Amino acid sequence: MLLAYLLTGIVVLILMLIRFPESEKRANYLNSLSIVHTSAYLAITITALITISLPSYFANRYFFMDSFALYETLIACSVFFLSSFYSRGYVRRLMQSGEIEVRELRVFYAAYNLLLTVVVFSFYCNNLALFWILLELTTVLSAILIVTLNAKENIVAALKYLFTASTAMLFSVIGLILLFAMTKNNTGDGNLNWDILQQQGNALPPTLFTFAFIFIFIGFAAKAGIVPFHTWLPQAHAKAPSVISVLLSSVLLNVGIYGILRLYAIAHLNPSWHTISIILIVFGCLTVAVAAFSMLPRGNLKKLIAFSSIEHMGFILLGIGIGTPLILFWVLFHTLAHALVKTLLFFSAGILHEQYHSNMFEDMRDIIKLQPLASWGLLLGCLAITGLPLFPVFISKLNILMQIAAYSLPLLCVILLLFLLVAGAFTTILIRTFMQKADHEYESYPAAMSMKVPLAVLIIGIFVMGVFFPTGLQNLLNNIVFSLGF
Amino acid sequence: MNDIIDVFFVLILATAALIITVRTLSSLFNIYSFQSLFIAVVAVVLFFQTGNIVLLLIAILTILSKALLVPYVMRRIQKNMNLKRDVEFRYLTPIGSLLVGTLMIFLVYRSFSTLLSELSYDDLFFFGAVIGLSITLMGMMVIFTRKKVITKIIGYLMMENGILLFSLFIAELPFIIEVLIVIDLVILITLATILAYGIDSTIDDFHSKLNSFTLWFKD
Repeated sequence: MLLAYLLTGIVVLILMLIRFPESEKRANYLNSLSIVHTSAYLAITITALITISLPSYFANRYFFMDSFALYETLIACSVFFLSSFYSRGYVRRLMQSGEIEVRELRVFYAAYNLLLTVVVFSFYCNNLALFWILLELTTVLSAILIVTLNAKENIVAALKYLFTASTAMLFSVIGLILLFAMTKNNTGDGNLNWDILQQQGNALPPTLFTFAFIFIFIGFAAKAGIVPFHTWLPQAHAKAPSVISVLLSSVLLNVGIYGILRLYAIAHLNPSWHTISIILIVFGCLTVAVAAFSMLPRGNLKKLIAFSSIEHMGFILLGIGIGTPLILFWVLFHTLAHALVKTLLFFSAGILHEQYHSNMFEDMRDIIKLQPLASWGLLLGCLAITGLPLFPVFISKLNILMQIAAYSLPLLCVILLLFLLVAGAFTTILIRTFMQKADHEYESYPAAMSMKVPLAVLIIGIFVMGVFFPTGLQNLLNNIVFSLGF
Repeated sequence: MNDIIDVFFVLILATAALIITVRTLSSLFNIYSFQSLFIAVVAVVLFFQTGNIVLLLIAILTILSKALLVPYVMRRIQKNMNLKRDVEFRYLTPIGSLLVGTLMIFLVYRSFSTLLSELSYDDLFFFGAVIGLSITLMGMMVIFTRKKVITKIIGYLMMENGILLFSLFIAELPFIIEVLIVIDLVILITLATILAYGIDSTIDDFHSKLNSFTLWFKD
């Protein structure tokens, strides 16, 4: 099964070497390859979900498939799948406006497809050290994707991302080495496999384990955009092309959270669990608070969405910190809901940016008339992300909040207050943007069909998810919570 | 044997102090090169003590990648950039950084003396771990206090050296993982240097560089 992933990835990369002289043709060819790649991955994942008995191990137990990995892969592949369609029209437009150059197309698409492969394998790898390496590779690839746009700010943003993430990730290595030393001390044979660590979780010395956990957490938190390691995130999300912002926000943040949750499952068995859970709760609250306060004065649409991502990651971390089985169930659902809504928001932001050549709210005039679909996407996305009823984020938010209430009432009040701030930020900006009248005639930018269809699909999908909860998904989530040992 | 390692501990700390304070870029690269070499020597000495072949391989890998390859790449980029010195410091002056660095060693020593007792190491290994972690923290300080990206990269590399030293004395990771980490590091550093180059050159030059770089590592 994993071989199928690997082979598809390699074949696609090799086929990318074929050159077409005409720029239009080359863009379309490279994009078609990406569509083939993402759909193949989606198909393989769904097949694996149906046919394979979980968990199964590959390549000397260095890789494995379990329900958690499959679930995260499914989210990642769906987001990549939609964005590969979207990028067809989007990249062509970037080429026309000179924001990306023709000779950069291959770099762009090669990094794009490699990123998909690396992300999928990082979910499937069973080894913490290997996971670290793949995580570093995702940083490198997304930095390349950010700098393919023709602007100096992009280099600055990418460098900031590279430095913050990889410096933090170096601290993870210290944690990894400590963890390795502990298992070596216990069994005489050091090991960093997720499954073995989970078996040994209760036998690791608590103080040292807490220490190792904090070190590893620093790296993963930087990847997940947790305060105070979030400094790279707003700039990178705002400067990257919208297709890439989608991947950064809906896929790469999840990889960080995935690592934290796996590590937490090991900590859950350890006597140090209470300390660790309080650490996560504190970081979660801090993240939500910083994000909420940063959102109010934003004038930049993509930065606003980026800060909302930080806020949601903090909320998820808070949920993980409390760590009851029920809350984890909803946290997992929340990652799915958040990924889809964020994809919708960045897709809309991409179209709006091409219309106004700006991400600032004050430049967006006559938005409903000029870009009806994108403005509906923006409106519904904003309502959904703040957690209004009938949207999927509402269900997960409500349930997580109920669990927080059971844990501690003052905490609930604080979080609710912060959410009010977030909702306030979104509402004021929406009202302002939608009320603004044009001061001169704007030429409507005809968004390509390939950009509109994924947007429409997402809007419908989010509505369906908000009112309909399939039993298959429910079983899968239950399975994950159980297999993580909660 | 232990005396040799002690001498090299002192040398490694001295190189770290130099990296914190020196302003000329080419000597920064040289000092980094020497630091990596010293760590490799420590690994070789440990190999003679324990007979673990992995240590020897790590030493060879370190010399090839960190003492030779990475400084070479950095020097070439530096030539292109036409940049000789990095004189700007933020937050801390060189003297201040040295003081903070000393404080860090002390703090790491204090916190480790309680923590690592659970794993029962002897004095030498304990000191190795302390120095490793201190150098990592000093590297982070370089990243924070220097303004030029290329010096920041040296700071990052120093952090990585500290971690290598730390791992030599606490527990060597499997060799395959070690190799992958080094490959990862080389890719990361190359990209970062190219980006650093991009900030100081025209956008057009930079993009042709970027283009050739990705094609090279894909094929």
